[in-house]
Amino acid sequence: MARRDDNAAYSIVGYLLSGLLFWGGVGWALDKWLGTSFLLLAGLLLGAGAALYLVWLRFGRE
Amino acid sequence: MTGTLNLVGYGLAAIGPGLAVGMIFAAYINGVARQPEARSVLQPIAFLGFAMAEALALFGLVLAFVL
Amino acid sequence: MRSLVVFRAEGEGFVPPSSKDFELPPIFGDNEFTTKPIFLILFSVILLSVFFLMASRKASVVPSKLQFAGESVYAYVRNDLGKEIIGHEFMRFVPYLFTLFTFILVNNIFGIVPLIQFPTMSRISFAYVLGIITFGVFHYVGIRHHGIFKYMKDILFMPGVPKPVYILLTPIEIATYLVVRPLTISLRLFANMFAGHLLLMIFILGGEHLLQGAVGLKLVSPFAFAFGIALTFFELLVQCLQAYIFTLLTALYIGGALADEH
Repeated sequence: MARRDDNAAYSIVGYLLSGLLFWGGVGWALDKWLGTSFLLLAGLLLGAGAALYLVWLRFGRE
Repeated sequence: MTGTLNLVGYGLAAIGPGLAVGMIFAAYINGVARQPEARSVLQPIAFLGFAMAEALALFGLVLAFVL
Repeated sequence: MRSLVVFRAEGEGFVPPSSKDFELPPIFGDNEFTTKPIFLILFSVILLSVFFLMASRKASVVPSKLQFAGESVYAYVRNDLGKEIIGHEFMRFVPYLFTLFTFILVNNIFGIVPLIQFPTMSRISFAYVLGIITFGVFHYVGIRHHGIFKYMKDILFMPGVPKPVYILLTPIEIATYLVVRPLTISLRLFANMFAGHLLLMIFILGGEHLLQGAVGLKLVSPFAFAFGIALTFFELLVQCLQAYIFTLLTALYIGGALADEH
């Protein structure tokens, strides 16, 4: 099943997108609620980091 | 014509990750072509590099719509 | 979206094509269900049924040209998309993959067939319906294969992670499997068809507009038409590729749902 791994790029983009959208969305909503402005960026960074970690867990480990 | 400058900015910001993804897979294909048995070693590295570069492009996409 | 910029073209009467050009009026009276895309969908179903019935009716060991054409498409989907990606249980899914591939392919190619020239999938609802069907299929297959609790555990909890990190990762997995996968698979198809059709419209309509302008503009217009024709062939490539990618992703998702571990 080597072919399935060759197409990992699509799953990777999916993970990154949902990580950014979910945690970025949480940050954005908290910003609206608390009246701050830095939580959106924090959420986006957190989401990107978590998604990269997930990608490493799924595709980077031997 | 009407439009927003954010999307022009996103277009510019996508150039870098686009080049990066191209270079990563070029190097990966080169490596596998020279040494096919190295494929299983190179594949995770290539995809992790791809993920790093793609994350920046998606950052630009999200920020273009949010800011 | 702040920072709105307005450009004004100087004294030009050219109206560039926009997304409004995709909202076609009903053909019969006011009934919204008789627009061109609906008829194209029905036409594609009839076309495919007739073609494959003809191709498989008098099947013989030495195939006719028609049978050969039908069988090579089938063999391609079965071997390259089914067997290679799904694995040993692939035969159950070949009918679905095959229907999906040929259906999307025909509907995409409508975009460059003279006199039809409208890719059905550039209306987003058709792409959404296909995405939702694929979404239903791969989750159903996964739940049937693993049982609902093991399937959900496989999706939600990545092994080998300290427990607090699950707060961070599990929402991402949920969002990926429930929202992002069906959304991106249909958006990818829709956006490619939409953008391709818009591109062709810009070059052909722009060429026509240049032809009505001053002498200098008339000289430029053939280049616009030539580029439009070149882009038509490029569109053919994109249309085949998108039908392939949609089917490939469906096969990947089904294969992932059937896989025993991540």
